[in-house]
Amino acid sequence: MITVQKLSKSFKTPAGEVHAVKDVSFSANNGEVVAIIGASGSGKSTLLSLLGLLDSPDNGSINIDGTELAQLDGAGRTSYRASKVGFIFQGFNLIPNLTALENVKLALEFSKYPKDLRTDRAQEMLDMVGLSGDKADRKPNRLSGGEQQRVAIARAFAASPQLILADEPTGSLDRSTGQKIVKLLREAASQQNATVLVVTHDEKIAAQADRRLEIEDGVLTEIS
Amino acid sequence: MNSIRRGVRNAFRNTTRSIGVVVILAVAITLSISMLIARDAVNTKINAVKSSTGNTITISPKGFFGFSGGGTPLSATTVDSLLNVKNVEAIQESLTEDLTTSKTSLIAPSPAGFLGQQFGGGSATNSRFSGSGFTLPIRVVGTNSPGTALVGGAFGGGTEKLTSGSAFSPTSSANVAIVGTTLASKNGLKVGSAFKAWGTTITVVGIYSSGSTFADSDVVMPLATVQKLASAAGQITSATVTVNSVNNVATATSAITKIIGTQADVTSTAAQTESSLAPLNSIRTISTYTLVGAVFGAAIILLLSMLMIVRERRREVGVLKALGAPNKAIITQFVAESTTFTLLGAVVGLIGGIAISSPITSALVSATSTSTSQSFGGFVRPSNGGGFGAGGNGFAPPSGGGFNGPSGGFHFGGFHNTLTQLHATAGWSTLIFALGAAVAIAAIGSTVACATIVRIRPAEVLRSE
Repeated sequence: MITVQKLSKSFKTPAGEVHAVKDVSFSANNGEVVAIIGASGSGKSTLLSLLGLLDSPDNGSINIDGTELAQLDGAGRTSYRASKVGFIFQGFNLIPNLTALENVKLALEFSKYPKDLRTDRAQEMLDMVGLSGDKADRKPNRLSGGEQQRVAIARAFAASPQLILADEPTGSLDRSTGQKIVKLLREAASQQNATVLVVTHDEKIAAQADRRLEIEDGVLTEIS
Repeated sequence: MNSIRRGVRNAFRNTTRSIGVVVILAVAITLSISMLIARDAVNTKINAVKSSTGNTITISPKGFFGFSGGGTPLSATTVDSLLNVKNVEAIQESLTEDLTTSKTSLIAPSPAGFLGQQFGGGSATNSRFSGSGFTLPIRVVGTNSPGTALVGGAFGGGTEKLTSGSAFSPTSSANVAIVGTTLASKNGLKVGSAFKAWGTTITVVGIYSSGSTFADSDVVMPLATVQKLASAAGQITSATVTVNSVNNVATATSAITKIIGTQADVTSTAAQTESSLAPLNSIRTISTYTLVGAVFGAAIILLLSMLMIVRERRREVGVLKALGAPNKAIITQFVAESTTFTLLGAVVGLIGGIAISSPITSALVSATSTSTSQSFGGFVRPSNGGGFGAGGNGFAPPSGGGFNGPSGGFHFGGFHNTLTQLHATAGWSTLIFALGAAVAIAAIGSTVACATIVRIRPAEVLRSE
């Protein structure tokens, strides 16, 4: 379970101080898919960066299953990202000269997953997202957009993280493929018992989530 | 797949760029290897020449050379004090006296001949001795180092060695002598025989041979004995100072000159050799600077290439960080990539460097030695009164040439050829250098890239989608 309390982050710009995230508080259970909707510049990507410990909050706390993350040092943050968080990006962000299987194994390597089990685990995750056969040995440029995002989902779930942060995961896909990807995310979240936070500006995608939150000018509110 | 394997694999990710980087590095390493080999060849030659020159310094009275010329004998006490000079290991002292017929019962083995008449003070055709039966005096060398005097051509005539009898002790003051075979033969001397010198009976304790008629006409006696009989107590006419290393000869010569002052000529063949070696020293300097410059240039090339690669892959670095890769793992990956470039460049550069080292060395030598080649003309016979008192009808230089005598001496052609004949060869040291340079280039070339990697913030690079 993730619990966020009064999370704030601001940036100094030539135009003055910008409050990207203001006193954000929410919680989500394991296996739950939560959609965060917001327009461009609303602060949703900043919120995701804070939750993924890619950035440090000015104030507030992030607690996952009793562990306070805001207090972690650099090494602790790196270790947390490797074992407790999985990222899915709009542009897939696969390593171009590695095969699909190797991309998934990369996450296992950083999470210190047992070396001799990595290949089996990566193959299992690719099977889970429906990529089997020779596609596992293809490099990203020989996979379609939907297939690449499936690899990214397999990579995100590989190390059995407690939190999956998906930033516009369907943004580069056609509607039909996007629907399939969201469905896949729901199944994976349920199967892996992980909390999935999906940032999107697409209402139809958000409608498939268990809960919907809206962020506007850094302020988060629950949509009933 | 660990970071190192990923890095090696990344080195071949962009084939065109990889080939370009490797080729540029190979050219730089080729240049550095060829310069290293040239430098080694020059160093070897310089050391060989210096070694053959010897590590001795000769001290003789001002204006005195060999056993001719003028000047005032040196004080043995002053010369003895030179043992306190830094790096001086030993001093061999000698007092050379001429025994004319009125002072000895010995008969000179060689007639004066044309050259003897000329070098004796006049000329063969217009001399106060011409046609007057001038006889060469017998040369007596008093020495405190009979062992050294009999080994290594101390008299310039070859390699003297005892053929019978034994040498006297260095501190001896007995009336004994070692005589050359030519003189012994002429006077019927054997070990145990006696002859008269300065009215004193001298016993022959040994006979030596050098292979040279000139050197085999001498008498070698204890220094103290000659000083006593010739009424030259505390005097010496020559001292040979041995320095612990040929590299210290110049500083020791300077220190000795300071102590001895203007009363003596302090010379070392090393000094003349040093000036002769100036072209080679220039090559060494050029090759050293080029070597360092090439390695530094290669490091800069790699540094810029790696910086470009890291900047190009900023997003990828951000993704790796987001996936939980520690900076150490990412840096290791990029260092492995730069090391792969450098090692490939080093292998190609090593082959290229070995291939072109010989022509480059030759080109450097010919370019730098042209301006000095005039100073190494052919054989130059000393001018009238130059200092060879030998009789006979000619002078046969030792085989092999390569001797550049003290002032007023002689030069042989062939020395120049010897200096310019360098053998550029690559050994284990070259291979070790290539590897070391590759590691150094990779390390230097990766520094800025590593610093950039550490500074990359995944939140920033991933936000820009």
